[in-house]
Amino acid sequence: MKKKKMIISQETMDVDFVRKVEALSGTSVRRCFQCGKCSAGCPMGTFMEHPPNRVVRLLQLGQWQRVLAGRSIWYCASCETCSTRCPNKVHLASIMDALRKLSWDAEGASKESYVQLANKLFLQNIRTYGRQYEMRLAAVFNVKSGQFLKDLMLGPKLFAKGKLKVFHSKNKNMSEIEKIFTRIEEMRKKGEAL
Amino acid sequence: MSRIGVFICHCGENISRTVDVERVAQEVGKLPGVAFSTDYKYMCSDPGQNLLKKAIQDQKLSHIVVAACSPRMHEKTFRKAVEAAGLNPFLCEMANIREHCSWVHENKEEATVKAVEIVGMMVERVKKNRVLPTITVPVTKRALVIGGGIAGIQAALDIADCGHEVILVEREPSIGGHMAQLSETFPTLDCSQCIMTPKMVDVANHPRIKLYTYSEIELVEGYIGNFQVTIKRKARSVNEDTCTGCGVCMEKCPVRKIPNKFDCNLGMRPAIYVPFPQAVPNTPVIDRENCIKFKTGKCGLCQKVCGPGAVDYEQEDSLVVEAVGAIVVATGFDLYTIDEKPKGSAIKGYGEFGHGKIPDVIDGMTFERLASASGPTGGKILRPSDGREPKQIVFIQCIGSRAREKGISYCSKVCCMYTAKHTMLYHHKVHDGQAYVFFMDARTPGKSYDEFWRRSIEEEEAVYIRGMVSRLYQKGDKIVVMGSDIAVGVQVEIEADMVVLATAVQPQKGADLLAQKLGISYDKYNFYSEAHAKLRPVECATAGIYLAGACQGPKDIPETVGQASAAAAKVMTLFSKDKLEREPIVARVKESGCVGCFACKKVCAYGAVEEKEIRDRQGNLIKTVAFVNPGVCAGCGTCQATCPSKCVELDGYTDEQVIAMIEAL
Repeated sequence: MKKKKMIISQETMDVDFVRKVEALSGTSVRRCFQCGKCSAGCPMGTFMEHPPNRVVRLLQLGQWQRVLAGRSIWYCASCETCSTRCPNKVHLASIMDALRKLSWDAEGASKESYVQLANKLFLQNIRTYGRQYEMRLAAVFNVKSGQFLKDLMLGPKLFAKGKLKVFHSKNKNMSEIEKIFTRIEEMRKKGEAL
Repeated sequence: MSRIGVFICHCGENISRTVDVERVAQEVGKLPGVAFSTDYKYMCSDPGQNLLKKAIQDQKLSHIVVAACSPRMHEKTFRKAVEAAGLNPFLCEMANIREHCSWVHENKEEATVKAVEIVGMMVERVKKNRVLPTITVPVTKRALVIGGGIAGIQAALDIADCGHEVILVEREPSIGGHMAQLSETFPTLDCSQCIMTPKMVDVANHPRIKLYTYSEIELVEGYIGNFQVTIKRKARSVNEDTCTGCGVCMEKCPVRKIPNKFDCNLGMRPAIYVPFPQAVPNTPVIDRENCIKFKTGKCGLCQKVCGPGAVDYEQEDSLVVEAVGAIVVATGFDLYTIDEKPKGSAIKGYGEFGHGKIPDVIDGMTFERLASASGPTGGKILRPSDGREPKQIVFIQCIGSRAREKGISYCSKVCCMYTAKHTMLYHHKVHDGQAYVFFMDARTPGKSYDEFWRRSIEEEEAVYIRGMVSRLYQKGDKIVVMGSDIAVGVQVEIEADMVVLATAVQPQKGADLLAQKLGISYDKYNFYSEAHAKLRPVECATAGIYLAGACQGPKDIPETVGQASAAAAKVMTLFSKDKLEREPIVARVKESGCVGCFACKKVCAYGAVEEKEIRDRQGNLIKTVAFVNPGVCAGCGTCQATCPSKCVELDGYTDEQVIAMIEAL
């Protein structure tokens, strides 16, 4: 995806998505003139396939799919070094935040980093049990992500310290928890929340 | 017998730190011919100069040597002081014991010995200095301005407003130049015609400006203050004095489809035409190549319909001679063409951009005409091929500029800004369109310039892509532009409806020929050279000739206007005196020995060497010798070095003097 030729036209430049990013982050994407200072100081930059300046550049060209398909937005530690140093007041940390939020519903978002999966399972657990059930989270995550033995040796240690329980304990007021989830779902349908 | 006075300066501690100045004064005092020698802390100060003047009078000194800093620093100061004391200023010389001695040495003993030798050399030299009278030349207080673009117009108006007569010569049928072609101007987007035409009318109505349009410079003779310029007035075939500019001839002319150069060949004009409606003068000209009357002898319709009878087919080219004191050259620029390599040109075309054969690939000036309200499309951006509105438009910068392989290595300076302007004009006119710009660097120095460029991106939604286009080609009715975005590091492809190339700014065609007529120097691109890149940016090395505008190098309008006014100020400085005083350090020819080989004439950069006939009393020609015009000579000494018979000598730098200096060592 990264090296694929870019065909630019009014159709392939998704300006609407970029407008959403700008509205969410409260900062201008167009203002960036690609000085590269954000990438120069980014502590996670070396791990990203699209360093911060390129994330903004791809957004300028409306190519958000390329950004979301990669891991860059998930490697961002939100340290805000980029935003602090940007000569053009582009708040890049907010853009990264906005991108992470928008990736929830966006098509073609990264499958690679399993962040979405972890997030979804986490919330599912909360909805079902009212609190976190670590054993199930770990098990389902490993099965769904296809990494059956991931972090297996951590299990006994956590178990010994009492951090991992075999049986779940449910929250006593599940109806209230469910209310929260339904309300947010309704808000999302109306477009009031992400 | 000379009585030489030597004055050694301490220059504070600059010299005395490494040179024992008192010892230098003592030793030099022993040299034959030296009548007086002394040292002082600051020779250039008032007490120092008074010391000098007093010594000249008390000691009855005949020649002076001041051993101090470089003559570039204070030669004028001391010569003035010497003149005030009653001596000819050219009997004073400086020995440089600061830059050439104290500043570059550490050993005091050795530096002192060297200082004595330097002063000794100048003592021997000054003995042979002649009394030189200051050269005065009369000044004709009329100016010639070549080129009627914004630079020439501004310079002409400024000089004329100061009360001097100006002759403005323009090659085209109307003044206005390239600025009249522009639609709007950066960074304020004011209409070019609106700010240009009032100035053109001012020129036409000015009582002290004589306007020669459709004319060219044929010959330039003379020198600063006294030029004789022969101007060729091309036959207009319409009498300028009787024509009223009613335009009936243009309406009736049966030849209608001649591409109009002013509209970059987009619009059509008749064979009798004015280039644009606001032309100054508003007198039509017959294009004889396309006129039926001139081709076949039939027609003659324009003459029949002309009320005042101004059409004159018999008119011929004529020559006029004008005497002027100063010349402002403002011939402007032309645009690089991407066509195949023109004959005899060092530049190469752009095969990768279709060699100019794709109709919807246009240059920046053509876009200006499309966007101009008075242009061929009435201000609508339409494709030249099918008249459709382009919805995807691609601008490419640096076409020709900064491309050494194509023969040009300079930056054309204005393209970044005018491309930003073009994207704005496009966005204002085609709301649902999208503009893309391929660029290598955005160079926007200038007041409010960078803000203007950023505005085109941030507010006018132009998409700038850093990276050059490798190639473009026609595909159906689209043009496929292949480039890359170097910030992302991927190839980019755009199917465009129209492509605008920001082609390089070049000197006007024939700039080199004009320079040869004027005797001014030009660089390898044919841009005219200024006398000093920083300190004399509007003067030519040839005295009395000044530069304004893009003929010197790529310039935008504010800079051009600034330089034009600066050139006018220089002309006024020259005109402020009735006679011009020049330093008499000029070459003289020993006519007895001169064989008339004119090697000196060939090497003279200033055109100062003339041919002079020597005749006996009966008027028979004895021989032709070289003559150096002291009004033009700049005293560079090239002729002296070249003369095979050693018959040219530069006053103050004669062979005899140089040999005396060497022998003193």
